[in-house]
Amino acid sequence: MTIDTPNALCFGDEFPASGTPCLVHVEGQGLTIAFLSDREEGESRSEFVEFSELTISAGGLDHNQLVAAWASSAGQRTLYLKSPELIRAFRQAAPAHLSQPLEQAAEQVRQVRQRHRVVWGLVGGTILAVMLSLWFGSDVLVELAVNRIPVEWEQKLGESAYREFLTGQDVMKDGLAVGAVKEMTQRLASHVPHNPYRFDVTVVKSDVVNAFALPGGYVVVFTGLMKKADSPEEVAGVLAHELNHVLQRHGLERIIKQLGFVAVVSIVLGNPPGLGGVMKQLGIELMTLKFGRAQETEADTTGLDLLHRAKVNPEGMITFFQRLAEKDDGRVEWLSTHPMSSARADHLKARLAEMPKQTSEPFSFEWSKVRDALGVSSGSAP
Amino acid sequence: MKSEILYPGAFPMARVELGNGEQIKAESGAMVACSPTIDIESKMEGGFLGALSRKFLTGEKFFFQTLKATRGAGEVLLAPTVPGEIVVLELDGVNEYMVQKDGFLAGADGVTIDSQMQSMSRGLLGGEGFFILKMSGKGMLLLNSFGAVHKIELKPGQEYIVDNSHLVAWSTTTSYNIEKATSGWVASFTSGEGFVCRFRGPGVVYIQSRNPGGFGAWVRQFIPVTE
Repeated sequence: MTIDTPNALCFGDEFPASGTPCLVHVEGQGLTIAFLSDREEGESRSEFVEFSELTISAGGLDHNQLVAAWASSAGQRTLYLKSPELIRAFRQAAPAHLSQPLEQAAEQVRQVRQRHRVVWGLVGGTILAVMLSLWFGSDVLVELAVNRIPVEWEQKLGESAYREFLTGQDVMKDGLAVGAVKEMTQRLASHVPHNPYRFDVTVVKSDVVNAFALPGGYVVVFTGLMKKADSPEEVAGVLAHELNHVLQRHGLERIIKQLGFVAVVSIVLGNPPGLGGVMKQLGIELMTLKFGRAQETEADTTGLDLLHRAKVNPEGMITFFQRLAEKDDGRVEWLSTHPMSSARADHLKARLAEMPKQTSEPFSFEWSKVRDALGVSSGSAP
Repeated sequence: MKSEILYPGAFPMARVELGNGEQIKAESGAMVACSPTIDIESKMEGGFLGALSRKFLTGEKFFFQTLKATRGAGEVLLAPTVPGEIVVLELDGVNEYMVQKDGFLAGADGVTIDSQMQSMSRGLLGGEGFFILKMSGKGMLLLNSFGAVHKIELKPGQEYIVDNSHLVAWSTTTSYNIEKATSGWVASFTSGEGFVCRFRGPGVVYIQSRNPGGFGAWVRQFIPVTE
């Protein structure tokens, strides 16, 4: 009796339902099966079965076990072989009449594995396809959704955010600066065809160099930004950019995109803990980032067109963006949401070069006086 | 290593006697009490990646606790979180069991725990997720269930149908298919069964007499909604 560990499970009428461990040896004419469970009682028992008596198939949970069945004197016996060495030895020793069922069993295992691979591949491919189509095709869907939302809703949305923001701010009610910003806005707005928005511009006293637009036509300009500008055309450039965010309904697009994307991701992934949750968050952030860039480019381009139509010198826009980027000392907040790249400037310059030359019309106010009112000593350009 | 189930029934506890130097791994939090000779360590079974995959894929705990009788023989009392029976299985090196993710309570050092991927249909419809635990190796294995444990013994070729949420463990010599409980889709869900597993012998299937998901849904209706 060898002291080898069992390498197979044998099932039969007198054995427990979970099978009895046994040691199978492949011999020249058949299999020797030694039942090890009897060893403790001292009566080790072994059986011999000839190859000719066996029927072969594949079985087990993953169809990866070799099942040999035969009728012994003690009733029907079934042997489950799992160890690869044993199966290999069996296949080598098996006579010709078993080679066909063996080949079928092997084919069955291969088919199961193949099917697993195909199904997982399909599922992986589908997930990838859904993600790619979300990435590239979502713009069309978002646009469709945005077009269905009335301007009044957008205005209500913007107004509440606008009021909330202004409660904590030092708002400039009147003065030269306010008059100048209002004139610039009116001049730009009057050149927008079919404008459904009534632009509401507020100047906020703050050293922060920033300006932003909320959905519905609510524009906020910080005095910090005006102090940095050498000419009114520069401020008008920023305004044209911001007004176009409103006109192109970028805020709304962004909200819908984010809501929709979160919804889709939640449906696909559920609410996964741990790693899955991190991946989900990362995906949403990436999506928002990509979207933001596309919107900025659109606002730049349409802003430049608007300046041109309103006969405001568009050079101011480009030079101001560039100058702000060069002198970025971390306080120019506008840049953190509008990163200035050389590609962006080149793009604008190229577009400007294509436009027909025209003489720009100056504004009615004097910029030096506005700067004085803002407390910038004239002559000391920033 | 000897084990004994105390208070069999709904609230059992397992007492495991460890000889000097012997150790047992248990689900983290399973230890109730132990002799002062026992040291408790937390261990990531299967290394960091194995533990990580088990945590994220099967929802099992990242750490198992290892209870080792370093300073002489002693005993350990172990209990599962949910009310229900504990069963003791003896693995002999050939027998292997698949265990649903909450079923593992403790195992001897010789028992190997892997997370294994299931096929697409079993993963989607089987109710255990795509990854389940595979227990192999040699030694004692303690499983816990929700409710009582019932053992179904299947002869070669014999079939039995089990509601998927009642599965605890099954031997790898069995195979199973996921099926609708009744022939029609609507009837399948209105009958309250949804999907069932058709097991085919030989082998053993352990099932639990209560369905944790069903119990959760039943409890939920009594939880007051707080503002």
